[in-house]
Amino acid sequence: MKRSVCSGCSLLCDDIMVKSDGIYIDEVFGACLKGKEKFDQVTSQNRILSPLIRKDDTLQKASWDEALQRTVDLIKKSKKPLIYGLSNSSCEAQLKGIELAKLINGFIDSNASICQGKVLDNAVNSGITLTTITEIINKADLILLWGSNAAESIPRLLNKVLFSRGKFRMTGREIKTLIIIDPVKTASFNTMGVRDVALRITPGKDIELIKVLKEECCAADSIPSEGVAGLDKDDMKRLLQHLSGAEYGVIFVGQGLLTPQKNSNLINELLELVQMINIKQERGRITLAMMGGHFNMNGFDHVALSMYGKRGNLHFKDNQILETDENIISKIENEDFDCSIFIGTDPISHFPMSLSSKLAKKPIILIDNRNSATLQLASIVLPTTITGIECSGLAYRLDHIPIELKKIINPPSKIPTDEEILNQIIQKLKSDGGN
Amino acid sequence: MEVIKTDFILNTVRRMENDQSKEFSFGDKKSLVEKLAIAFINPKDFDKLNLSSKPNLKISSNFGIIIVKGIADEDVPEGTVLMPISIWSNQITGVENSELRYKNMRVDVDITEEKINDLNSLINKIKEA
Repeated sequence: MKRSVCSGCSLLCDDIMVKSDGIYIDEVFGACLKGKEKFDQVTSQNRILSPLIRKDDTLQKASWDEALQRTVDLIKKSKKPLIYGLSNSSCEAQLKGIELAKLINGFIDSNASICQGKVLDNAVNSGITLTTITEIINKADLILLWGSNAAESIPRLLNKVLFSRGKFRMTGREIKTLIIIDPVKTASFNTMGVRDVALRITPGKDIELIKVLKEECCAADSIPSEGVAGLDKDDMKRLLQHLSGAEYGVIFVGQGLLTPQKNSNLINELLELVQMINIKQERGRITLAMMGGHFNMNGFDHVALSMYGKRGNLHFKDNQILETDENIISKIENEDFDCSIFIGTDPISHFPMSLSSKLAKKPIILIDNRNSATLQLASIVLPTTITGIECSGLAYRLDHIPIELKKIINPPSKIPTDEEILNQIIQKLKSDGGN
Repeated sequence: MEVIKTDFILNTVRRMENDQSKEFSFGDKKSLVEKLAIAFINPKDFDKLNLSSKPNLKISSNFGIIIVKGIADEDVPEGTVLMPISIWSNQITGVENSELRYKNMRVDVDITEEKINDLNSLINKIKEA
């Protein structure tokens, strides 16, 4: 029995016990449902185990050499290749992805740019510091889930931060207050106790709540008597009281806050509110934490920042990085690409139909280990290992702490890792005379 | 026959029970439809729409139309329709100012006897668009 890191989500729990002989996984202890699913993917019936090439409109099995050659041929023909995904890959693979983008004059980005990366952009600009899981365990007395359903997206997060005892929180759950702001009564509401505060906000009205709270910070009694956003005046006063009275409060920002509302940047408004509360605070402070889903959603930011000083949206031309305002959405929307390479992601499921249909018009190269809607439209599919189970690598936890993932078993049929596949493409392109 | 039409707010969410990656990994074409081609609405809206008389919901936004199965869920607020993030919900989400619009979108909801789109029909629709 060995202690392992679970790559089921971005919490990267390092207390999972795995019983394995190095060939098969016999048992997994301590993983949540999401983590267990990750381990079950090893033997999943829909796992991709062979390279596939589309012939006569159907995907057919192919040899590795043929699939690799077809991949390289497609890339060589491409003038504007797009590389996207990599949030389910190790940092080593992300580095190779950037190397490939540079070699082929491509545009590369990760899933983070349309997800939690937005929070980071704004937090960097506003100067607010983020926090770590350890700090939350040791210090937090207030946990606010805003538009985030932690119980289902990061299932063990609340076990760790709410139901735990920390250095300065020895009494554990009893001293911690949980506040949830969400229009839907999500599974996270089931963790609430009598002291906690459930705020069922009207959908799409978060911006109104934040603005009124900001006003209340500046001048008391600014809250309208009828309340705001479906919450009554007392609810709002209670919320502000908790926020300004906490010794160490953490706001977990979920997807619910990432969509713009009424043309306002919700995250910026929230960050301003946090700054105002922190000025008002006498006892402690409020900080933010992000809740990315994919296990290495933060990794690409770190790799890209360390290489090129930019978090994402890297566009290369003649070995140089170009200054660009483009992002993955605008690139697809404007059809500014002629071939796409997706690594460990399913954009045909994730993106709106208007973008999917544009992606489908150009060749798609998919590097992944499982069935997906994108696979149904791919020209070439290269199967890959499951990082953290069948190969090692570095990943960044949701609080930006680097965690090393260890290989537990050998991959089936000697399937290569994301990093090896990308390296094979790079080497073949170079040996064939470049792009 | 009178057509009942109501304005709703659409929110797409991730739910463990209705997870697209899980269904693509472990499910089949039938379970994909059962788990993902669905929309949750408040029981009061369920009755208002008389959903028991016709089995499915036709949800239309500025970006598209999708037919899914309607399920009553008291945890969903009145006037809201909740869909798991998937290729089905993304038939009616869209892009505005290079930002994805997948939450708090105004949609029209009708009851319908039309068949639920299966994965193949959605893939063909994407190919032919």
